[in-house]
Amino acid sequence: MPARSHPIPAHLWTLPGGLTVAFERRSGPGFAFDLRVPVGSAHDPAGQEGASGVLEEWLFKGADGLDARALQDAFDDLGVRRGGGVGPEATRFSVSGLLADLGAALTLTASVLNAPHLPEDELPVLTDLARQDLEGLLDSPADRLATLARQTAFPAPPGAPLSGYGHPASGTPQGLEALTPASLRAHLQRYGQAGSVLGLVADLHPGQARDLTAAALGGLRPGVHEPVPAVLRRRVQAHVTDPDAEQTHLSLTLPGVPPGHPDWMAWQVALTALSGGSASRLFHAVREERGLAYAVSASPVILGGQGFLGAYAGSTPARAPETLQVILAELERLPQGLTPAEFGRARAGLDASVVFGAESMRARAHALTRDAAVFGRIRSVPELRESLSKLTLDDVNAFLARYHPAPDVTTVTIGPEAHGPGESLTAGNAEPIPLQPSDHPSETLHA
Amino acid sequence: MPDPAPQHHRLPGGLTLLLEPDPAAQTVAAGYFVNTGSREESAAEMGASHFIEHLLFKGSDTLSAAQLNERLDDLGGHANAFTSEEATVYHAATLPERTTELLGTLTELMRPALRPDDIATERGVILEEIAMYAEQPAVRVTDELRADYWGDHPLGWPILGTAATVTDLTPDALRRNHRDRYGADRVTLTVTGQFDPPAVLDWARTHLHDWPAATRPAPPRLPARRPDHAAPRHPGTVRVINDPTLSRVQVTAAAPGLDATHPLREAAHVLADLIGGENGALYWHLIDDGSCDSADLGHLEYQDAGTFEGGFSCDPDRAAAALATYRRVLAGAGDLITPVAVRRAARKLAVGTLLRAETPQGRLFTLGMEFLATGRTPDTAASVRRYEQVTPDDVREVLRLCPLDRLTVVALGPIDRL
Repeated sequence: MPARSHPIPAHLWTLPGGLTVAFERRSGPGFAFDLRVPVGSAHDPAGQEGASGVLEEWLFKGADGLDARALQDAFDDLGVRRGGGVGPEATRFSVSGLLADLGAALTLTASVLNAPHLPEDELPVLTDLARQDLEGLLDSPADRLATLARQTAFPAPPGAPLSGYGHPASGTPQGLEALTPASLRAHLQRYGQAGSVLGLVADLHPGQARDLTAAALGGLRPGVHEPVPAVLRRRVQAHVTDPDAEQTHLSLTLPGVPPGHPDWMAWQVALTALSGGSASRLFHAVREERGLAYAVSASPVILGGQGFLGAYAGSTPARAPETLQVILAELERLPQGLTPAEFGRARAGLDASVVFGAESMRARAHALTRDAAVFGRIRSVPELRESLSKLTLDDVNAFLARYHPAPDVTTVTIGPEAHGPGESLTAGNAEPIPLQPSDHPSETLHA
Repeated sequence: MPDPAPQHHRLPGGLTLLLEPDPAAQTVAAGYFVNTGSREESAAEMGASHFIEHLLFKGSDTLSAAQLNERLDDLGGHANAFTSEEATVYHAATLPERTTELLGTLTELMRPALRPDDIATERGVILEEIAMYAEQPAVRVTDELRADYWGDHPLGWPILGTAATVTDLTPDALRRNHRDRYGADRVTLTVTGQFDPPAVLDWARTHLHDWPAATRPAPPRLPARRPDHAAPRHPGTVRVINDPTLSRVQVTAAAPGLDATHPLREAAHVLADLIGGENGALYWHLIDDGSCDSADLGHLEYQDAGTFEGGFSCDPDRAAAALATYRRVLAGAGDLITPVAVRRAARKLAVGTLLRAETPQGRLFTLGMEFLATGRTPDTAASVRRYEQVTPDDVREVLRLCPLDRLTVVALGPIDRL
């Protein structure tokens, strides 16, 4: 067995201003951090959809005495790789590089959040770029579908002050037009220590990590932590006609299990058996056995502290009704439980995934952040593997007997209107609603 | 980080084995890297390489497709494959204690039964895959660009083939392609991560010594660059494909680059980064002012040729001006080559190379693909050093060899001309 047996448990501490740091020591020449600020597109003020997306771009147009170009050059001089971006619930700033550059990378990232120049002449360019992004998403039916599915499954309650989950990070055309320098500066006040998490992996003493993070991020403004609830509108069925689409794209959203719930791990095993590999039920029934689709999948979606099951498939129009029926039949038989072989494979697959997911520093930093933000604590690799090994087939099947999501499915489809008699895209007892093609393009369904 | 110097063995049957152990790794990764791809296909059998890749997952004489998939999932679900112009790769990773199952299952996958019923089902899956990509404008326009740039050379053909060729590929044709192109001398098994090298070598000598040689040599590849040959055609034209259903314009462009074995390959990547990287000149000239929502340039390598390839997307009424800017930036690339800019780009590429080697799977692809393309097996430190040592003179020499002043261009969108 490995010489470098994994963990050294993670350290979790909170800065005086409220920011949580999740640190794990790891040998190696590199570092990775992932700063998650709990403000995303769902927090765009109603009527200003796109605020978070545009603001994130604006932040990088100069900070702390460096203009936009000098700021990019400063990151590049460190040789770091950057990632992150704006999701529905949070904005992430991810950086990885060589250990000697960690302090400088943290300081630069903090300056972007805390001392941005926000030059007003850049704002029309950035809102125009967001508008271009929205139009680009319209050219892809699969991307349009993701937004339509969110709009249909998670509509914002009327009169809510925050716009919620029905639009992508680039907003809506009307929302972008309403953005002003003053409204975005006000929005920036939400971005601070409250609810923020920094996941950090590096070969440092915990004391050094504590000093570095406090020095770089301790001065961040207070910020606002205000989770946006996600309420699934069940049993809805919607179809949007796109006469030029090559395929009909299907999106299904169903109830799931919230993170931290005692059934969470059983649900993960069940979803892995449903869609975790090439022997999984959906892949086998839709692709291997019938050749109905190239892409078919189901995965957990976490929004507003709740868990949902999201499924997707794309089939050419003549085959799409059968694809939908096969997926629904698989969902319908979930309560009957898994076979011992399915259970064994799913558990082995998840066990390996836990190790793979912690293997690179970048992936581990992201997992630390996600655990602290979504589960409220760090789940170590040995702990996760142990809880998996303790789970039995009976546990999972007892859960599945109570978990019967199929009748509540909300189905959204997009494609050419080419369904003959008896081929309509119907999903059991759903109530059909008309849904007009929307201006809203989309983001990835599975956050 | 792995120990230096990957081990290189040639097994009695002719198959190559590359081993790079990393005792500190948490997992083990293995891949069969097959020295074949779409550039060997005939026009009528376009898509055969990719079709075969799919069929290897449909089972062997002793395992049904379902049984093979179950065994792959047992390993942890990290098995996959891909087909390119010059390589077809089958890979999987698992926990170290399952190394023998990993090698056994991956090897069973390499001995496909190629049953007619499975071929019929999988044909449907591939036709769906073709339909999926056909509605992604960036993919469509890249396929069209390569067709123009390479002319009738197979490097310009779609790797997936067309709906017509995939519909017409017979089981016999697929079997023949597999027999001709999967012989031992074309196959390299690469293993990285935590494993015991002598044990894997023993396993390989026992289980892989009788790998069939190709029954006859595959037809020679058309050279991609030869003075008396038409490839690349690189007509230097601008072709517009009008599609009124799209709202935006995608423009792509190509020009000659360097091949995979060229000593200035890393300098070519630095040049591409200066022009078309995230902080490159195209970003500052086309995205920073809002003209385009994407603009880039990269360097692609083949065994005997290379290209600089890139493009942008924008509103229809901005396309002509954006193309003029794109050309101007490429033509003025010499001004971007300063000591500071070259050092910055080279460091970024060096650090990226180092960090990619962090996991066995990352290292597997770097090592396996490098060996297929060049026959070399550099360790990570050597690859990093090659970037660190790039000088401004190297980059200027790349620009002298590949002047970027003549582009083949294809545009797709709701416009009639550019």
